Amino acid sequence: MSWLAKLVTWARIKSPWIIHFNSGACNACDIEIVASLTPRFDIERFGILLKGTPRHADVLVCSGPVTRQIKDRLIRIYEQMPEPKFVVAVGTCSCSGGVFNGCYNVMGGIDTVIPVSAYIPGCPASPAAIIDGVAKLLGSLQGKKPDEKAEIEAIVKKPLEAETSTNG
Amino acid sequence: MSALLLILFLILEFLFLGFLGMAVEFIDRKLYARMQNRIGPPWFQPFADFVKLVAKEDIIPEEANPMMFKLMPVLALTAVFTAFLHIPLWDSTPLISFNGSVIVIVYLLTIPTLTFFLGGWHSTSLFSMIGAVRTLTQLFAYEVPLLLSVLAPAILAHTWSIEEMSEFYSKNPLFALTNAIGSIVAMIALQGKLERVPFDMPEAETEIVGGTFTEYSGRLLAMFRLAIDMETVVGASLIVAVFLPFGLHSGPLIGFVLYLAKILLVILLLALLRTVTARLRIEQMVVFCWKYLAPAALVQIIISLTLNWIIK
Ligand code: SF4
Repeated sequence: MSWLAKLVTWARIKSPWIIHFNSGACNACDIEIVASLTPRFDIERFGILLKGTPRHADVLVCSGPVTRQIKDRLIRIYEQMPEPKFVVAVGTCSCSGGVFNGCYNVMGGIDTVIPVSAYIPGCPASPAAIIDGVAKLLGSLQGKKPDEKAEIEAIVKKPLEAETSTNG
Repeated sequence: MSALLLILFLILEFLFLGFLGMAVEFIDRKLYARMQNRIGPPWFQPFADFVKLVAKEDIIPEEANPMMFKLMPVLALTAVFTAFLHIPLWDSTPLISFNGSVIVIVYLLTIPTLTFFLGGWHSTSLFSMIGAVRTLTQLFAYEVPLLLSVLAPAILAHTWSIEEMSEFYSKNPLFALTNAIGSIVAMIALQGKLERVPFDMPEAETEIVGGTFTEYSGRLLAMFRLAIDMETVVGASLIVAVFLPFGLHSGPLIGFVLYLAKILLVILLLALLRTVTARLRIEQMVVFCWKYLAPAALVQIIISLTLNWIIK
């Protein structure tokens, strides 16, 4: 890798802007995503910002199964994002369809419609798991193995441990 | 040869301003985070954001006017940089100085706002159009108080040149204290000009998606963001030069440190204002600016005129 490519990869890892899209979730996953944006978890430490428009975003955070109604909108939002873009599926439903799998109005997981880069299971996935999943996604940018995290881990670890110990 | 040197110097100055802008953005975000009891972003955050945006794909909407769409961010950067050349840094002498430079600076700082409007308008998205109209509505609210508040010190100093103004106030520092009301008005108006909370209606992410910049992505967005960062520096420098012209003759090094300290003070106050307030509605802002800010600026002008009359 030339130094320029390295610099760009570094910048991408340090500044993932996300957009949150509810593709048919029962709302519990959305609440957890919103919770992970609060000052308690302070994801601005990693440069993560929530953006309102897909044009500014790098990571599309989807929650819930894809309903037939939302399918076209989801594809449209995805296509409005500039390259390079990543999709994170939050919650069991968005990974596989979950409890809604087989419903007449549901397509299935997010990956039945658009390509997904990271799956975060859980019903609902906790904020710690969401941040952990995003860190792993960023690690894959550095060419790490799927279960290894990006180098931001060192900063992630301390507050998260405090988090789990206070939450029990 | 000398033209080459001048170009080199301008490029260096531009890089310096860009660096300062990013530093100011970091300080602002960090202060904001600390005041909210968060840790906040690391020091390289604005730089990482910038590099990432530059390396991203540029999308130009099919409906948009590509010329205007691409031209506006460049114009915003140019206008802000030109305004910077007129502002004194460590002593009272700016690079370009003439009688009337104060007015020129205020008008050059209006151009970025106009480019936000035109850029939003020409991207022909509904959200960006709403944002663009709000940008322009805001302009009519804060522009007059800003100009009036800068006017008052100029009246007292009997000059329209920012150099002579700083010179006058550094010779008579007591007079600078009489501009207290004006400095507060200018600070609030600057907050409106930079479209930050509580005056961030044009970009209100929770209601109109991304406001003016909804359709901008990649390099063009990076340029707009850089322009806003630079505008923060230039606006703060204007306030510093007009309202806090102390310690101007203590050599370049101390003078420069003093300049940075003063800018930091202005940024601290702006960040504090951003933390303790929430977004207003657009008509609340217009009412606030015309009902309270503009009269306060007028009071400042009356104070200056009275003082003028007393010393004479
Ligand atoms: S994974 Fe669970 S919490 Fe999340 S949307 Fe599905 S049912 Fe709701």
